[in-house]
Amino acid sequence: MQEANARESILASIRQNLAAGRAFDDVHKEAKINDESTRSTSLSRDELINNFKRNLDSVGGHCHIVSEMSEAAEAVFKIIGSLSATNIAISDSSIVAAITNGLSINVVVNADPEYLFASDVGVTSAQYAIAETGTIVLESDTERHRLTSLVPPVHICILQAGNIRQTLGEILEIVQSDLSRTVTFITGASRTSDIELTLAIGVHGPRELHVVVIDDHRP
Amino acid sequence: MKVSLFITCLVDQLYPNIGTSMVEILRRTGCEIVFDERQTCCGQPAFNTGYRHEARKFAIRFIEIFEETDADAIVAPSGSCTAMVKHFHDLFHDDKRWRERADEIATKTNELSGFLVNVLKTVDVDASTSGRFSWHDACHGLRELNLRDEPRLLLKNVKGLEFVEMSNADVCCGFGGTFSVKFPEISAGILDNKIESIEKANIDTLVSSDASCLMQISGRLSRLGSKIKTMHLAEVLAMQN
Amino acid sequence: MQQVTSETFDQNARAAMQDPVLHSALRHLAENFGERRKNAIESVDDWEGLRDRARATKDEVLLHLDTYLYQFAANAADAGAVVHWARDAPEACAIVLNLIKDRGATNVVKSKSMVTEEIHLNKALEAEGIEPVETDLGEWIIQLAGETPSHIVVPAIHKTKTQIAELFIEKVGIERTDDVDVLTGSARRILRERFARAQVGISGVNFGIAETGTILILENEGNVRLTTSLPKTHIAVMGIEKILPRIADLDVFLKLLPRSGTGQNLTAYQSLITGVKRDANDEGPDEVHIVLLDNGRSRMLAHPVTRQSLACIRCGACLNACPVYQQVGGHAYGSVYPGPIGAVIMPQLIGYSKARQLPFASSLCGACREVCPVKIDIPELLLHLRAEITDGSPTTEKRFRKLGESLAFRLYGFLWSDARKYRLGMKAGRLFQKLIIRNGKIKKQGNVISRLMPPLANWTARRDASPLAPKSFREHWHDELRTK
Repeated sequence: MQEANARESILASIRQNLAAGRAFDDVHKEAKINDESTRSTSLSRDELINNFKRNLDSVGGHCHIVSEMSEAAEAVFKIIGSLSATNIAISDSSIVAAITNGLSINVVVNADPEYLFASDVGVTSAQYAIAETGTIVLESDTERHRLTSLVPPVHICILQAGNIRQTLGEILEIVQSDLSRTVTFITGASRTSDIELTLAIGVHGPRELHVVVIDDHRP
Repeated sequence: MKVSLFITCLVDQLYPNIGTSMVEILRRTGCEIVFDERQTCCGQPAFNTGYRHEARKFAIRFIEIFEETDADAIVAPSGSCTAMVKHFHDLFHDDKRWRERADEIATKTNELSGFLVNVLKTVDVDASTSGRFSWHDACHGLRELNLRDEPRLLLKNVKGLEFVEMSNADVCCGFGGTFSVKFPEISAGILDNKIESIEKANIDTLVSSDASCLMQISGRLSRLGSKIKTMHLAEVLAMQN
Repeated sequence: MQQVTSETFDQNARAAMQDPVLHSALRHLAENFGERRKNAIESVDDWEGLRDRARATKDEVLLHLDTYLYQFAANAADAGAVVHWARDAPEACAIVLNLIKDRGATNVVKSKSMVTEEIHLNKALEAEGIEPVETDLGEWIIQLAGETPSHIVVPAIHKTKTQIAELFIEKVGIERTDDVDVLTGSARRILRERFARAQVGISGVNFGIAETGTILILENEGNVRLTTSLPKTHIAVMGIEKILPRIADLDVFLKLLPRSGTGQNLTAYQSLITGVKRDANDEGPDEVHIVLLDNGRSRMLAHPVTRQSLACIRCGACLNACPVYQQVGGHAYGSVYPGPIGAVIMPQLIGYSKARQLPFASSLCGACREVCPVKIDIPELLLHLRAEITDGSPTTEKRFRKLGESLAFRLYGFLWSDARKYRLGMKAGRLFQKLIIRNGKIKKQGNVISRLMPPLANWTARRDASPLAPKSFREHWHDELRTK
């Protein structure tokens, strides 16, 4: 009851104060919303991939471009080997399952938090990517990767080149139709400058991000 | 072109040479000068300190006096005073007619460097001197009147003047009107940063377009026993040696 | 413990300026963030156009805030979030407290949220035996130190890494180090333990989207994602002004906010959270609660000049650009929000009586207005508040004036109301100044003058003063110039 009163009270206060302001509004100029629709770009796939890689590199991410699944698996195995990882968590993506099939170490799908906190690497795919910022986009309703992409100290992400768009605006338009309950944008590794403005990588999120881009248009 | 001088109280009483220089320059460019001796102040100190009642009275007086002067333009050697005139509008929320009168006067009012470059379309006023000079962007002139290139163009066209762009030229000197005496330590702290930039630039003379900034900066330079001189833009442009 | 308030701003400022460590940190901040922001803007085609669009969007929302807010709440509720409304800080704290107690939760993690600082949430929870742990590194540092944030974006900017190391050694028992990576690593290790056991996660909200009921939270560390994904209950506290109409509007704001705030094209993570998970087996909290807070914001709608205060997206750019902030730092303001934006919203949030020095602590240089992504005209706001405080207004009952200053301005208004009185007044000034001029200058003034004319004493403490010229311009005009 109190909360319903609070709501009515707040809405009423807003209306009253806006009404009081109207007398002064004529003397002040007001702007109208400039409804510029998102200009979608028509870049080639190669340009999109190159932009994505360049921008991901600039934020300290690692971009590996391959032309087919077996090469993707190779890249992933190599990364995991170089980390001497023993416990891997994977999302419920079938591509990720296929790529990580054959690893001789622990691979758990849909792991519980206890395992995630103890794991070395999380492997997921991404639904989209933004080339102009080197960002990967994860939709929670499509894949179960919310914690797998967050808790382990290293995140490996599989991305189909065809899902890369140039701009944030284009991606916002895509994700909002059939909006997932959580959409996460990831640009590089976790970081902070809180201590003397000195950059430190790997605070609470992963300290390392690898994106394996499968470009099946490659010759 | 007929110019009515808005001399500003600071120049009138503390730095009359700035006014004399301005008259010299404008006459050099062919302007006819009139000076309405009834003028006193634009009321900026009152407006900035929240004394709107007093500020409004100054504004009314200013508008009435300058409406009577039959001139093409009103020119002031100060960005902040010019900006104040453009803010007269804010003092007449309740009176449309006064707002219109204020806006008419505001449209005719110019700061000196803006007037020379944008109205008279002149960047060279046949001035000459020698030495290393740098420019301090007075905040109102820079951010309210958008005058950044104009004073620099004028200075660079002074024969024999070596122009140096100092670091943080566009950072406040810390004057801020009554702020300088209400919060003197903060004002002095900001001023110290400005002095540091000036000293780093290794110049003979620091130039600005607002007497208030010059008062602030020269006050500290003088206290420090510095040899660096300060001059108003008008004084530099009036030089012919 | 922080004892300073806005009422003693001048004393706080003086004390702050004696601190060389703070001085150095603030200088570093201004240079560093100034540089970063400049570089980040270069990667945008039409920065000014973006600012205009953002401001226009905000103006539109604020003019119809009731409609957009209602729409937001309805859509969030449709997606399964529980929306709460709080008129003020006590109501908001009570809502959060009850949510926690009703669930028997004791382990609470928090991500960085200025609005929760505003309502003093931690204190309210601690009073009831619940100790929320701050998970943002900067916020955790100041929580350990028992301090308040001194900056909107980098709350511990006033601390050196040595001070932080000492703090960690004392409070959480790490080995001595001054390596930033090691310090950060220990924070990660310790806070992960809390994340693993957390039952409730409290966050702020950067933007609420009316058309979908979505909340968006930006961050770099990953603690927001952990706070909003791991615990069973997520409570998001949001100021009512944080609304945007559409998902598409995020394009403009996500281009402006990271660049303005930290000089990044995008922060490491953005989470768009709409309602609660669709299926019980999905990842994420079982419950999402959104607490909408007024706390004086609706009052700001009553005038177009004050209404723009609500356009603020809390980027902190104005703090980084402000020469006053650079001299005194955030704590001197004695208020939740420091810097230029603090100087204009605090008097409106906590009242003119308590915060009346803040609008005057500015040289009106306008650097803040220049960097504000949503073009808030802070100098205009400062002048508006100064007039309300000094001259009063229909909505304020009281005027706050110092007698001496008031008399001085009356005298100025009287003497300068016509040319003759003005000239006479200046003649008197020329006589008086003979007493205090030495070598053509007015030097530091001693006791008698300081008492009679404090402004002159204040000026001459560090600066010489120019005397009135022997002959005024108008005398020159009259005598020589006019007949040329």
